[in-house]
Amino acid sequence: MNGDFLALLPKAPLAQVSASAPPIVEGTTVFAFHCREGAVIAGDHRATAGNTIFSDKTEKILELDSHSLMAIAGVPATAFEMARTLQTTFEFYRRSQLQPMSLLAKIRALSQLLRNNIPATLQGFGVVAPIFAGIELSDPKATPCIYFYDPLGAQFEAATYAGSGSGSGSIKSVLHYLEKWGDPPPAEMSATEAITLAIRLLMTAAEFDSATGGVNPERDMFATIKLLTRDGIRTVDVKEQERCWKEKAR
Amino acid sequence: MTEEPYRWLEAIGNRREYIRDQIKGGTPVFAVSRPEGILLLGVGQGQSKIFEIYDRHGFAALGHPVDIEKIRQAAIEAAHMEGFNRSSKDVTLRRLISFALSTTLKNGFEQIFSPPIMVESIFAELGDTAGEDVLVRVHYDGNHRYENDGIVIAFWDSRREEEAVNWVRKATKAKDSLAQVASVCLTAWQTLVDNKGFAEVSPPDEPLLKIEGKSVEAALLDRKLTGSVHYRSLDLNRLKS
Repeated sequence: MNGDFLALLPKAPLAQVSASAPPIVEGTTVFAFHCREGAVIAGDHRATAGNTIFSDKTEKILELDSHSLMAIAGVPATAFEMARTLQTTFEFYRRSQLQPMSLLAKIRALSQLLRNNIPATLQGFGVVAPIFAGIELSDPKATPCIYFYDPLGAQFEAATYAGSGSGSGSIKSVLHYLEKWGDPPPAEMSATEAITLAIRLLMTAAEFDSATGGVNPERDMFATIKLLTRDGIRTVDVKEQERCWKEKAR
Repeated sequence: MTEEPYRWLEAIGNRREYIRDQIKGGTPVFAVSRPEGILLLGVGQGQSKIFEIYDRHGFAALGHPVDIEKIRQAAIEAAHMEGFNRSSKDVTLRRLISFALSTTLKNGFEQIFSPPIMVESIFAELGDTAGEDVLVRVHYDGNHRYENDGIVIAFWDSRREEEAVNWVRKATKAKDSLAQVASVCLTAWQTLVDNKGFAEVSPPDEPLLKIEGKSVEAALLDRKLTGSVHYRSLDLNRLKS
């Protein structure tokens, strides 16, 4: 009765990999940065296995509960399962304990899943390096926090931005530049400006990384962009992204 | 001695009497299916009586707080395991009650050497329309029945419970606001607690949304909420009549 959903699940044996293992599906650009209203979390839609494009309609920004999000980079099978486990874990805790799980506990829950996944990570077929964004609801003055993880489960708080996936290198450079010399820097941007920046960043990442894609406003293909504020999570729909793209992002 | 059949029957009879006697001080809880969703309502003094179970499921109960907690936890665990292993659509009251809860309650009731589970309860499942809502009245011995007319009350006196359901049915109209429905429920609550007859009671002109010295607890399984979670607590004082 301690609100631990994982304790209810049977212990699964460690996965084994063989020489005939299926191709690993990975390659991504996901990122999060602070803006004036809260935090923007965005990602492309492409899933690849080697040189093969598996899908251009993959959702990589997953809502875990009303005030927390996970952006996944790495092997989707493991990442989706982690997100699903966290969704149930957070809701199970909130309902059974009659209070929401604290932000620190949520952050550690993801860290714990990554640690449990170390055998698959070390064997090279289950690597996941997610970004987590959430807000401490018990603190009325709290603002959204962004954390990024290494595949072994270490967590790091991002003061301004975080990026993960094969295409994140180029956009982290852009975000660093904007934080230093941008006018305004991303943290002072309005929601509209931040959405516009997110689309531009994904277009930039796709330019340099073949594993990033599925975002092409010219072909009516838009990103997944979510805005986390104290009021909850708002998904920036295609119409709003289209408006931003037509008005500003071009 | 209880191996003898007539002794066992006597023991079960005594147990039933004991449970009824223990629950006697409990106050009623309500579930009413409306176009906006399912309204759950109870009145207490510090102890909660209305709970969220799963995305579209709520629970209201009277009885021993520890036993209410046992049933609540069992329902939450069963619902989340089913939702995780299959999907949230597979979490249905029919399966939850038939396979997880009623057997637990019945076994608990018939284990005459262990403490009984003293809970009278209501389970509610939100459908896409009021006609698809599922309301179930569950008794301490695992006996349960599905209610089709959208009004369920749990009380320790079954005769009075039925009178209250009939009165609430007559007193509520299709176009009533949630505040008016809550007011009708609270009027029925007061009538049951005061042990008065329903013949001379009529719905109040001014909505009755609080009970002096008690805390009114209400929640709505809200049909309009677009996310997966449909349960939300209601502040009756902020409802518009």
